[in-house]
Amino acid sequence: MCFKNLPIEFDSAGNATLKPGAADPYLYTETPVQTPIEDDPEKMRELLERNGHVRRVDFDPVTRVAGALAFHTVVDLDNREVLETASMATLFRGYEIILQGRDPRDAIFISSRACGVCGGVHANASALAIEMAFGISPPPMGVVARNLLQAIEYLYDHPIHLSLLAGPDFSEPAMRDTNPEIWEKALSTRVKGRATHGYEFMSEIMTDLTPLTGKLYLEGLHYTRVAREAYVLIGGKFPHPQTVVPGGVSTTIDTSDLNEIMLRMVQYFDYGRKTIAIWNDICDFFYEVNPKYRDIGTRPKSMLEPGQWDDPYAYDGTYENADDWARERWAPPGVIVDGELVTTSVKMLNAGVEEFVEHAFYEEWVGTTGGPSGSYPFPTDPSGNPLSPYHPWNKQTIPKPGGTSWKEKYSWSTAPRWDRQAMETGAYARIWAAAQAPEFSHARFIEPTGKSLKVDLPKAELPNDLVEWKVPETWGAFERNRGRAYCIMYTAAIAYDNLLIAYDLLRKGGPDARMSVPYKVPKDHRIGVGLWSAGRGYLTHHLEMDNGVLENYQILTPSTWMASPKDPFGNPGPYEEAVMATPLLENYEKPEDFKGIDVLRALRSFDPCMPCTTHIHTDERTISREVVTCACGAEGNHAH
Amino acid sequence: MRGRGQPRTLSSSEKVTEAGSAAGQDMRVLVGGVGYRFLRDNALGVYISDSFAGRVSNGVEVEDLGYHPIGFTQNLQDRPTYDRIILVAAIARGREPGTVKAYRWDHELPPAEEIQDRVSESVTGVISLDNLLIVTEAFGAFPEDVWVVEVEPADESWGDGFSPEIQARLPEIEETVWNLTKP
Repeated sequence: MCFKNLPIEFDSAGNATLKPGAADPYLYTETPVQTPIEDDPEKMRELLERNGHVRRVDFDPVTRVAGALAFHTVVDLDNREVLETASMATLFRGYEIILQGRDPRDAIFISSRACGVCGGVHANASALAIEMAFGISPPPMGVVARNLLQAIEYLYDHPIHLSLLAGPDFSEPAMRDTNPEIWEKALSTRVKGRATHGYEFMSEIMTDLTPLTGKLYLEGLHYTRVAREAYVLIGGKFPHPQTVVPGGVSTTIDTSDLNEIMLRMVQYFDYGRKTIAIWNDICDFFYEVNPKYRDIGTRPKSMLEPGQWDDPYAYDGTYENADDWARERWAPPGVIVDGELVTTSVKMLNAGVEEFVEHAFYEEWVGTTGGPSGSYPFPTDPSGNPLSPYHPWNKQTIPKPGGTSWKEKYSWSTAPRWDRQAMETGAYARIWAAAQAPEFSHARFIEPTGKSLKVDLPKAELPNDLVEWKVPETWGAFERNRGRAYCIMYTAAIAYDNLLIAYDLLRKGGPDARMSVPYKVPKDHRIGVGLWSAGRGYLTHHLEMDNGVLENYQILTPSTWMASPKDPFGNPGPYEEAVMATPLLENYEKPEDFKGIDVLRALRSFDPCMPCTTHIHTDERTISREVVTCACGAEGNHAH
Repeated sequence: MRGRGQPRTLSSSEKVTEAGSAAGQDMRVLVGGVGYRFLRDNALGVYISDSFAGRVSNGVEVEDLGYHPIGFTQNLQDRPTYDRIILVAAIARGREPGTVKAYRWDHELPPAEEIQDRVSESVTGVISLDNLLIVTEAFGAFPEDVWVVEVEPADESWGDGFSPEIQARLPEIEETVWNLTKP
């Protein structure tokens, strides 16, 4: 029984059904948000006058994240605690509306533009949704090619976050600026990972994390290039691939291509080992300096991962068999609640999802566009499992721009919930779910133990030490970063495994080595879903089509889960929850010296990704700067 | 920093004179269009890349620079040095829509913190002329001779096709860019 809050129960055969008796089982009563201090100007003024240590601090925009995130806090600088938080996605994305009425095949290329960091994952998720609707699936080589694209994209993504986005929060300038006493301690603290990364003292790592000049920062930039070069050999462009199509990949692969990818991919074996050693040392050092660093960004260990990297011989594109083929993935699906794996069923993961808009700039659609909640379009999924009227297959995107009110609406992010609980997602959720997977089919280089995940890759230049990520006892910003570091090795192992399979398929030839299958666009009513992931975690594309065009298309991204505003039950989103729990360990004497480094560490540890437009507001000053994301730059020299 | 917001500008005719108009190419010139294909006027740069693609010859190369500046920087570092780079983009600076400005990049950089923010934006996919100028300059990948042709957009909403203001200036913009390719 994986649901505690949704009206779903299971019969003796394990089939999910609605609990009997309720006329409107998904109906809920909204819990009003406690009137925020900020929404009561008189109270706020009084509070600030009486308490000079209580400050409103807005991080707007939150820099070194992708896209438009603003974060509002009220902090008590004397007690070193956060009193109030609100996470704001400051942009309406609108891809759902752009895609209505289009040929479904357009969705692969248009939805890719939703993100300039990881557009390829959207292309893949879209292809899966379309394949389910069309009733097709790629040949094994087509699946392997997509797996390679997905893995290589992460080998771009994770180094960016660790070196360029999160890393500077632990750099020498940041430490001198916010906690000089810790910098002093770093100067004399020897680190454990010297044999792997070459640094003797913690301070040397911090110096090399310095933006623009630090060796680790520049090394991260370098590895973005290596990954891009590998990606375009199959994808044609990065990060918006031109070759992902329904039923496979529209290019060919030969041994030369695979060799070129291999040459680049093996570079991540040592880079992964080194990155793990660095982030282990960072975590150990900060925990030793002050155990309260474990509480930066802490929240319940509740997270979800839909799974990704399909088994080329298991994936058949059907919803009916989704639980089976999804469990065969290199990253199997999993929902973890309070540290416990409650399901590995991707159908139950799907059935548990709802999106709420009480505090988002959208119109409610339940009861307004689809009649009362009892007569919504899809009361069940194709397998008969109950779905909520708030499920993405039933959702309509109806923008409702308006003024910001912390009590009412304040974000362009909806509030996704699983079993009506706030969930986070990310690279760490991926290895957590894999570590606890009851069965794991791809054990050539990866071994789940239930409490850890071992990765054992061949030797490059460094010793081929087996690396082991252990399910953490405490959960917070440092563990998110550590987990992401391990994911470089985990991803490299998956890429390597798939490369070896691709060589084998090429050698054998035949139908399995084909890249795609032919298909026709169906004209009748169909639905589909891409249950997939991005570098930052959960990613789904739900579509409904009829007469050969899209009627509804819903994209649910990882940062929508995590940047979520409060839900109708009064619960904060993960960013809000994590920052509320963050102790302010920064060293400041006067309020005006406060930099908010611990809040920023908490936020950045989620690797927020909020493309595409930034709206900048700072104190009395408002600056608008339109920015557009796309990184479709590197083109492959791929002639066949 | 002067390169952002308040560009040193020349009229089209002044620019042509300064850049010279003699034919004959012993130099390598890169024309790069910066922008986003689905955002109407913002697609100007990639439109220029597309329309100039057929005129690639005699030392002139054309590239769609609708991708992140770190990638462009790394690509430049791989190639023989260009004698001149010409960047074309629509960018909103509060001017009359359709205003065309051409200027030589002064190679001035903002403070390090802003450069860092621009790098972060770049690797996370933000396409912007200013990011391209700052990041490429910061990592030392530009040649000495860098020209910018920028146009004030009227409409950057989702869709194909230019606003009337930009549509009317396309011949002038193309001529301005082409003249800059000459020694």
